[in-house]
Amino acid sequence: MTDMNANDPLLQEVSGPSPRQILFRRVVTHNGLMFGLVVVALLALVAIFAPLLAPHDPYSQNLLMRMKPPVFLGGTWEYPLGTDHLGRDYLSRLIYGARVSLMIGAIAALISGLIGTALGVSAGYFGGRVDAAVTFLINVRLALPVVLVALAVVAVMGGSLEIVIMVLGLLLWDRFAVVMRSSTLQIRRREYVAAAQAIGASTPRVILSEIMPNIVNNLIVVVTLEMAHAILLEAALSFLGVGVQPPTPSWGLMVSEGKKMMLFDAWLVLIPGAVLFVLVLAINLMGDGLRDVTAPENRS
Amino acid sequence: MKGSFLKTTIAATALLAAAGSAWADKANDTLNVAFTKELENVDSYFNSAREGVVLMRAIWDGLIYRDPATNEYKGNLAESWTWIDDTTLEFKLRQGVKFHNGEAFNADDVVYTVNFVAKEENGVKTQRNVNWMKSAEKIDDYTVRIYLKEKFPAAIEYLSGPVAIYPNEYYAEVGPSGMGLKPVGTGPYKVTEVVPGQHFVLERNEDYFDGPKGKPAIGKVDIRTIPDVNTQMAELFSGTLDLIWQVPADLSERLSSMEQFTVANESTMRVGYLAMDAAGRTGADTPFTKLKVRQAVNYAIDRKTLVSALLQGKSQVIWTACFPSQFGCEQDVAHYDYDPEKAKQLLAEAGYPDGFSTEFYVYRDREYGEAIALYLNAVGIKTDFKMLQYSALRELNMKGEVPISFQTWGSYSINDASAMVSQYFKHGSLDDARDDQVLADLNVADSATDPEVRKEHYSKALKRIADEAFWAPMFSYNTNYVFTKEVSYTPTADEVLRFATMTWN
Amino acid sequence: MLQFILKRLMLAAIVALTVSFISFSLMFLSGDPAAALAGETASGEDIEAIRTLYGFDRPMLVQYWEWLGSALTGDLGQSYYFKLPVASLIADRLGVTMTLGLCGITFALLTAVPLGVAAAIRPNSFIDRLSLFMSVAGQAMPSFWFGLILIVVFSIKFGMLPPSGASTWKHFIMPTIVLGYYAMPAIMRLTRAGMLDVLSSDYIRTARAKGASEVRVLFKHGLRNAIIPVVSLAAVQMGFMLGGSIVVESIFALHGAGFLAWESIGRNDLPTVQALILVFAMFYIVFTFLADVLNAWLDPRMRSS
Repeated sequence: MTDMNANDPLLQEVSGPSPRQILFRRVVTHNGLMFGLVVVALLALVAIFAPLLAPHDPYSQNLLMRMKPPVFLGGTWEYPLGTDHLGRDYLSRLIYGARVSLMIGAIAALISGLIGTALGVSAGYFGGRVDAAVTFLINVRLALPVVLVALAVVAVMGGSLEIVIMVLGLLLWDRFAVVMRSSTLQIRRREYVAAAQAIGASTPRVILSEIMPNIVNNLIVVVTLEMAHAILLEAALSFLGVGVQPPTPSWGLMVSEGKKMMLFDAWLVLIPGAVLFVLVLAINLMGDGLRDVTAPENRS
Repeated sequence: MKGSFLKTTIAATALLAAAGSAWADKANDTLNVAFTKELENVDSYFNSAREGVVLMRAIWDGLIYRDPATNEYKGNLAESWTWIDDTTLEFKLRQGVKFHNGEAFNADDVVYTVNFVAKEENGVKTQRNVNWMKSAEKIDDYTVRIYLKEKFPAAIEYLSGPVAIYPNEYYAEVGPSGMGLKPVGTGPYKVTEVVPGQHFVLERNEDYFDGPKGKPAIGKVDIRTIPDVNTQMAELFSGTLDLIWQVPADLSERLSSMEQFTVANESTMRVGYLAMDAAGRTGADTPFTKLKVRQAVNYAIDRKTLVSALLQGKSQVIWTACFPSQFGCEQDVAHYDYDPEKAKQLLAEAGYPDGFSTEFYVYRDREYGEAIALYLNAVGIKTDFKMLQYSALRELNMKGEVPISFQTWGSYSINDASAMVSQYFKHGSLDDARDDQVLADLNVADSATDPEVRKEHYSKALKRIADEAFWAPMFSYNTNYVFTKEVSYTPTADEVLRFATMTWN
Repeated sequence: MLQFILKRLMLAAIVALTVSFISFSLMFLSGDPAAALAGETASGEDIEAIRTLYGFDRPMLVQYWEWLGSALTGDLGQSYYFKLPVASLIADRLGVTMTLGLCGITFALLTAVPLGVAAAIRPNSFIDRLSLFMSVAGQAMPSFWFGLILIVVFSIKFGMLPPSGASTWKHFIMPTIVLGYYAMPAIMRLTRAGMLDVLSSDYIRTARAKGASEVRVLFKHGLRNAIIPVVSLAAVQMGFMLGGSIVVESIFALHGAGFLAWESIGRNDLPTVQALILVFAMFYIVFTFLADVLNAWLDPRMRSS
């Protein structure tokens, strides 16, 4: 296991490798983190360069070429992963689907991150009534069944990319608030915070320059985990038919469309589901890995 | 390599299960059937689902019966009927018929049922099925008259369809909710168990009268609600289901190559079409108010491929705002064969050389809607795809906020053009064309008693609708029925399962 | 202790009240409840009549107050679709969901606790890594996909388990696994951390020094202490699970409350959806309350926070 004292700021000031070097070494020797980083980076590149990588237009249908099998099940290289129920190239739809998943995950995590961090930091910093109010809000949020509420709201408002992102962003801030609150509580009692307050720094200044830099590691960890959470929820909503609307390629939607033929053409369900699994696994491994290397004492 | 491993396994499992299963069905005379939807109420006047119609035909009888093969009207609970005048029908009733609870059938039952359902405040779900009747009157125990509100040539068709006769004493006592939980009728099957949301058990009515529906052969029908088609299939393979219906075309195709199942396909009266806001209800000068844009939409869609590749079976390409077999449904109207180049050219002429964007509404068959949207995208009409519940879309429609939508209409299986074209082109809240000429012709056609006059005016109206491209009619639907080789059944073209005509092989 | 319980109870009540307001306001998100209630064939006048009849024309807060009043007496309104009291609809189906939830949490505990203990006894061993991997993989597995794969494998390929329905215990096996595996990672991690913590404490060292057998040390002294937070976590997870049963029930066509929720959303039956959100939230609130009380009872330090 990694060195338990390495994160202690006092020890790091002693000569030796710089903290940055230590961090780098920890990152590259952490298998899970490396796997996660590589896979996420690859999929992000795929998403960005989708138009260059996709062999076909993901929206172009050919009803005469419906549900052709992938190449490993006797198909042709013209459609390496076969075609879907409207004769569209499955590989191209998967590639464009990466865009949808990553975009929804990233923006939803950003929105919920902003809300949760604002709530959590103010609760931790101000304490007292503010803390009580935020704790109360967290409790209310946790009591609401996420899937059911998201499903109901999206169904009522009509599914679209924007609405799914907004709903997920507004629902998934609880973990940010919880983690940011406890991290801020810990930092707040440190001497340098008291010192900054003593020399008369304004509250926003103290929060931004003394508190935030010290909790940003934890924030990044939660961002990754919630991103994974948002991606899974989007897929579940789309699977149940109330998420992203066709013809937008979403992996959840692809599973749902393939489900009908699941008993005969299982690959229609297996392929998008497997890609979804790998992406979420990679993001989670990345998040866990980041937690390990930035704060090994917190590993639990 | 084509017969995949999984497929072989499925076949093997199915065979094994069918051979060894304890619930095997012919042996204990029980037919296991799946419904996709849960009915809000089994009382046929208080649901509007296809499944409700199926149960209605099994549990109750109407006064008249239409032979689904020949479309000939026969007496059912009535032995004969005559028009006294344009708005009065007189029936001679069948004698010796008993309801499942023992109550004898007579004129009182007809009078009570008709008077109950015709009264709007009793809240029958589909008002148009009953709101043409004013009241009924008993002449003697086995003679009854039904009074119409106004002339209504399709009355006989409706009386052979949705108007089922209920036992007066029982219905008065329990009402629609009691009838839903413990239905009582005269039909070939009686209900012995209702577990809402889970299953219904029907048992053969041993005392069923010798009517046109025929005596039922199968002793017991157990109907379970299983919403997911995969689950239905899995149960079919494992031998716990004997018959499923409304099976998607692709699945039916695969199943038809498996030895232990029979796949039967029949067309239905449901027509799929695009409705466009020609009247400019979403705003003046919007794209669909322009004839050339509506024609472009018509040219943009490859109906033949939609039918052959997606719908398959007995579906047909449709050019009219009605189903071809319906009375008055003129087929000699303008056709718009697939021509995307012409569509682009028409769009350019209409002032949209680069196409335009529109909301595109869909309420069912997401797959078909998506395919149609992609055809529109291909000629430059960009679609913002919106899938809504039927009721939500209808609400938007009534408010005139829908520029273009993929709609379907099943005409309640009524074999008369009035059940479709007159529903949508008579300036009602759902009419997006609002054309006075069409309205005038339909008004004549709907109320005339001379069939030739009716035909002539429906023809005029339908031709104008096609010329003006108010709609883009596309295709008719079909239904697949899949059942084990133990069962013998010939489905009918009206999408109604008739348990009474099923037999064991 | 009593003071703690009272304080916690008050918080729970206020949370419940807020949740009830949120689920009530969902009704207004959809636009016009009167039009939804009136149905497809209604005219403009019908809708106005219904608006007055049901009082939708009054201020929202007044309506909320009334709705809350009847909700407290167990009247959750009428289903738009079935035209039956929502409370009885839900009561009919809650049994299946509760059974599923209990099976799910039991399954999660029975698999996650042994794995967590094994991982803690030999940190960094193969079993530790395996359980860590399983917990990460478990979190990444989309449950709708997992469920479909189970059906393909166990119902179709091997024909061992029925794919849908709830009539025998066999029907519950696959749904239990799909619902339960999601709670496993958290329970496993917490068990492992707790065991590690306890095993390195003076208390265990003393026990070992006194010559207690290893098994006795592990189970009597170790697990007993490490299990406390796990039990309260399990209670909280159970609350989450009931809310998450909607996906599982829809895949396996289990006619429980989650399935009802899914179908009611499809049918635009807002009173039912609203009531279900409230019911699921109440379960969560009750379970967390019990978990907190349990924690406080076993660990007096918790009472002050």
